[in-house]
Amino acid sequence: MLNPVDHSPASRRDQFKAAAVGNVAGERRRKQAIIIGKERRDAVVRAKRMRRADDNDEGMMYDEPFSDKIINEETVRAVQELKFLFSSSSKDSSQKKIEALRKLRRLLSCSSNPPVASAVEAGVVPILVKCLEFGSSDEQLVEAAWSLTNIASGDSELTLAILPALPLLIAHLGERSAAPVAEQCAWAVGNVAGEGEQARDLLSSQGALLPLAKLLLLNKPMLVKTAAWALSNIIKGPSSKAAVELFKVDGLSEAIIRHLTKGDEELVVEIAWVVVYITSLAESQTKLLIKSGLLPPLVAWLSSSESLSLLTPVLRSVGNLVAGDNSNTDALLDAAKDLPGGLFGCLVRCLGSEHRTLQKEAAWTVSNIVAGSLQHKQLVFGSRVVPTLLHLLATSTFDVRKEAAFALGNLSVMPAGESQLPQPIMEHLSMLVERGCLPGFINLVKSPDLEASRLGLQFLELVLRGLPNGQGSKLVEKEEGLAALEVLEYHDNDDLRSMANELIDKYYGEDYGLEEEYGPGIAEVVRGGEEYPSWRKGWVVNS
Amino acid sequence: MAFEVTQILLNAQSSDGAVRRTAEENLKQFQEQNFPVFLLSLAHELANNEKPPESRKLAGLILKNSLDAKDASRKAELAQAWISLDNALKSQIKGALLMTLSSPVKDASHTAAQVIAKVAAIELPLREWPDLVGSLLSNMGTPQAQKPPGLKQATLETLGYVCEEISPEVLAQEQVNSILTAVVQGMNTSETNNDVRLAATRALYNALDFAQNNFDNEMERDYIMRVVCEATLSPDVKIRQAAFECLVSISSTYYSKLSPYMGDLFTITSKAVREDEEGVALQALEFWSSICDEEIEAQEEYGAEFSEDSEVPYFKFIKQALPALVPLLLETLTKQEENQDQEEGAWNLSMAGGTCLGLVARTVGDDIVPLVMPYVQENIAKPDWKFREAATYAFGSILEGPSLEQLTPLVQVAFNFMLNAMKDQNTHVKDTTAWTLRRIFEFLHGPNVDVPVVNQNNLSVIVEVLSEGIKDVPNVAEKICGAIYFLAQGYEGTSEPSSPLSPYIQGIIQMLLASADREDANESRLRTSAYETLNEVVRCSTEDTAPVIMQLLPAILQKLNSTLDMPVLSSEDREKQNELQASLCGVLQVIIQKLSALEITKFGILQCADQMMALLLRVFSCRNATVHEEAMLSIGALAYATGPEFAKYMQEFYKYLEMGLQNFEEYQVCAVTVGVVGDLCRSLDDKILPYCDGIMTQLLKDLSSSHLHRSVKPPIFSCFGDIALAIGENFEKYLAYAMPMLQTAAEVSAQGGGDDDELIDYYNQLRNGILEAYSGIMQGFKNTKAELMVQYASHILQFIESICDDPHRDDAVTKSAVGVLGDLADTLGSHVAILFRNSSSYQGFLQECQASDDQQLKETADWALAIISRIVSQ
Repeated sequence: MLNPVDHSPASRRDQFKAAAVGNVAGERRRKQAIIIGKERRDAVVRAKRMRRADDNDEGMMYDEPFSDKIINEETVRAVQELKFLFSSSSKDSSQKKIEALRKLRRLLSCSSNPPVASAVEAGVVPILVKCLEFGSSDEQLVEAAWSLTNIASGDSELTLAILPALPLLIAHLGERSAAPVAEQCAWAVGNVAGEGEQARDLLSSQGALLPLAKLLLLNKPMLVKTAAWALSNIIKGPSSKAAVELFKVDGLSEAIIRHLTKGDEELVVEIAWVVVYITSLAESQTKLLIKSGLLPPLVAWLSSSESLSLLTPVLRSVGNLVAGDNSNTDALLDAAKDLPGGLFGCLVRCLGSEHRTLQKEAAWTVSNIVAGSLQHKQLVFGSRVVPTLLHLLATSTFDVRKEAAFALGNLSVMPAGESQLPQPIMEHLSMLVERGCLPGFINLVKSPDLEASRLGLQFLELVLRGLPNGQGSKLVEKEEGLAALEVLEYHDNDDLRSMANELIDKYYGEDYGLEEEYGPGIAEVVRGGEEYPSWRKGWVVNS
Repeated sequence: MAFEVTQILLNAQSSDGAVRRTAEENLKQFQEQNFPVFLLSLAHELANNEKPPESRKLAGLILKNSLDAKDASRKAELAQAWISLDNALKSQIKGALLMTLSSPVKDASHTAAQVIAKVAAIELPLREWPDLVGSLLSNMGTPQAQKPPGLKQATLETLGYVCEEISPEVLAQEQVNSILTAVVQGMNTSETNNDVRLAATRALYNALDFAQNNFDNEMERDYIMRVVCEATLSPDVKIRQAAFECLVSISSTYYSKLSPYMGDLFTITSKAVREDEEGVALQALEFWSSICDEEIEAQEEYGAEFSEDSEVPYFKFIKQALPALVPLLLETLTKQEENQDQEEGAWNLSMAGGTCLGLVARTVGDDIVPLVMPYVQENIAKPDWKFREAATYAFGSILEGPSLEQLTPLVQVAFNFMLNAMKDQNTHVKDTTAWTLRRIFEFLHGPNVDVPVVNQNNLSVIVEVLSEGIKDVPNVAEKICGAIYFLAQGYEGTSEPSSPLSPYIQGIIQMLLASADREDANESRLRTSAYETLNEVVRCSTEDTAPVIMQLLPAILQKLNSTLDMPVLSSEDREKQNELQASLCGVLQVIIQKLSALEITKFGILQCADQMMALLLRVFSCRNATVHEEAMLSIGALAYATGPEFAKYMQEFYKYLEMGLQNFEEYQVCAVTVGVVGDLCRSLDDKILPYCDGIMTQLLKDLSSSHLHRSVKPPIFSCFGDIALAIGENFEKYLAYAMPMLQTAAEVSAQGGGDDDELIDYYNQLRNGILEAYSGIMQGFKNTKAELMVQYASHILQFIESICDDPHRDDAVTKSAVGVLGDLADTLGSHVAILFRNSSSYQGFLQECQASDDQQLKETADWALAIISRIVSQ
């Protein structure tokens, strides 16, 4: 037998009062020995690789596999030296202080397992705060902020340890700071914002938002990039307050568009993430951006970039836009009209991408476009999007198939009217069925995912009800849809079960084969007392 | 041209040893001198109805063994030998075999059926013997032209064996259809001969995997299911049992098709469980256990969150059947047999029913609690021990599956009762109670449990009860060991210097040692369990009890020493010595690991190192050709503890290391030894250099061997990396041997495993091993000999690109691949700038890894990208 499943009493007996503990335990202990070896190997290799200190650093590279212990001890010593140097009794020169700070920073950057915890424990934060005081040299500020950045990149406990430094870090974001200082402080602030919603609220309340936004107005790519990254970390939501607040800065829209148009790729990526959160959270600010010329650069990137890290935020922004009102879609269509294949050409590129995440987001975007007006549905229907979606529905991974199915489903029904039950667009529906989309939907019916299963059912209902002369019921049966429905008759979700039962009763009841006699009254029956689940409308992917 | 072999074959079964040996020798010579005629002579013997059944049967068996063997490489050799025989000769043999099926002598026809299947296993996948299925089917006759039942029976047996031997894609669908038709007809009630029906039912069992298409078709499926269900009602008990075996197989192979039949299947199986003979009833219970397996697996596939591509069917049959199924299972629990706990291999209705109940609990979780608890409450105090035991078992069974919220209050109430029940006068009840305590500690005790059942107030009572229970009969004592094991494990991983168990450690260690020393400790695996439990107690102990563990060390060394003087007169003695040494070396390994990790005791370990090493060497030397796996593991632990100091033992130890590496028959020994080489590399660093010629030679030999189990190959590659890391530039002389091996393996692993999960998993391990080797070698060469790797750079990069594109790569491979990308750039610098500039996929891959939640992966990816962009931009 190919996949021998052992049904012998002996194998089952091993489960009886679970076999003697000695058997299992010995196996576990031997595996443990292998794991220990592996962990030690990893530690040796990691130690050999650890060198994150920047290139310009002379000397003092930790080439040798320093054990964590040595580094930790070294760090504690460095902190103590700093304590001494910054104590009031010390008369040492500022140069000496900077050297000590640099030494600490290198230690905190030197391995893939930096000794951050030891430094915090040794009391480094208060000293670093002291180093950030106004009037300190730029070099000192950069070094201190750099160490804080590294501390904030660790575990959340350690990130939170730098909270006392936030007011000064934010203060140095202002326009009077030198660019390297502002950048390093922005970096530290961004790390803190990455910690979560509470940290973001704290940063907003301490006024980090506006100085960061003002940094976007500058023409210093490195600085703008870091500021945009930090900013996108803060405005992530779920509250839209921060994203709205941003626009108090005059000229922000124009600056965003300018960077988006002319920036280098890495800069565009960071700016595009800012756009993602604005378009998903702040409607009227989004309008403002569109008015300032957001769409042309956005679709241009969508049509030309090969980089996954750039396409991801750009496509997400477009998706957010079409999930809004229909006029956004019109504006996008217009902005992309001179690009190869227009807006749909861009989307087909993403649908055909080798990256699953892009396929999925592109399908999600399309599903929101076709949830709009009849005209949009017809435009999409005439484009190359449809064959691509059909292909995805037939071949792709589950999450992509589901999105493709939403798009095809929305494509087949009239925009929601007074009637609860969606009316089919006959031309679209029969064409899609003819091109073989039914098996894909039937597969979804069988899926354990309730939403997917319901979507599949709704589409079957549409086919059964919509196609003339009872064609629907024959086609569905031929593709084994009936069998899929029958399985759902035992489903423990009430909704799915009753939908499946009603479809079977209605279309495959005693009179199956005579269904021509049935009139449109079916709709009433199917609806029953319950509210019919509506087609899903544009929803916002929000990570 | 065939020879007369009757007399030799009869002699080979003679009771006179000398006669037998001569005959065996003759047969062997004949086989070596003229293999073709040897086979033909055997086939003629088997086919000849004039010959005695004994010689015919043996002729068939020798034929069968000339075509197939358990060992994979031997099997391939035999197949090749058959393939290269002359075609005419093969036809003659096959003809004789087919003819034998009609022999009235059952021994002959039955043996011929097995031999035919072995030939089919070789030939059908090569598209040879195309008329086999046809000729077999013609043996089945038609309603107009009936064939003898004996022939039909032998033919059905043959069909079954053939299906067992080959994989479904070998047969064309119409062949499958005809086979199934013949088999199902043979099972049908219209077949009056019970032997034929039985053979058909058993054949169906093997043919079920071929019936994918037929099970997809509703009509055919209905038909097959009807015939199988009818066969479960046959008056012949053997047929009923075989039919239930089919149902069990169907329940796992065609789980997704079962919906329409579940009602009937419940009726049939519950009737069998209640009324039929035990063999049949056991299979009927197995049907439900198997459904549980499927549903548990389906739930695991879903995981907590819904995963993409999850198309696993899951119909909640168990949940639906629950109200009727649970009472059925509870009924079986009181059908215990005396002494079932002592007898190895005992298997009866109550054991099967109880096991099934445990599986049901895991399948449905909370829902089972209200169905079982009334039964427990009603029966747990009854005068008849059978009810007390059944109730306890039912309670123990539902401890895994339901939520802690459901279970905690129940266990809080029942716990004291359970502790008291260890004083029951019936051993069965005590056995099951001890097992239930073990389950309570396993599932309701530990850092993750909010309201622990075990607390400061009852711990002393618990230990008291356990210390009494462990003195009971071996099977009860073994269960108590299990309870102690999980009691200790519940306190694992605390960073506190002390554990609530600390005050009792000394006592617990004493009672475990005393159990291991019992005269009857070889029963119920008590000794092994006692030692493994001791290991867990040591492993989970805290710093405050380190002195106690330190005292344990000389006691264990003393015991190990005394095994060397055990009288070894028989293989049984040898096995006993071996097992005891294994257990004691295991304890040694754990003690070394534990104590060398603590500052306060590390010194003590180092002081004993000489003594331990001397003893371990003696353990090695008391075997001739093999080395001791567990002793090897202790060596690994000791090497970590001593560090470079271990060099002083190397000279003496080396021969055993080599012996272990040579042992590819017992591949686990080889694998463990390979792991120890890695341990030694990390401990000795370049002090291992003098031994590397020998080690590398042996590792390369292992890799080239077709006999070595494939699971050892990935660790060998990792071991290359370990050696290179340790000896740095000195690895140069092995490079010309190691690299081609790595490259070939890389190509093999790039083939992808298709849908075969096991193969996918293996290829991932293989890649991980290869990548670890590359990392080790490059880092070893980095400062002085980097240029040696330039010529391999493009291969390595291509290999990693193929990994980037593979959706099946696992996390470990991803991590290693990221590291190697960085190592390439770090080691080779400007030499590989152009390669990276021209490569398309690494960037997306590294960016993807930068976005990972795994902090270590993210950091390695940051590092790799930084280094690569530095060299690319230069």
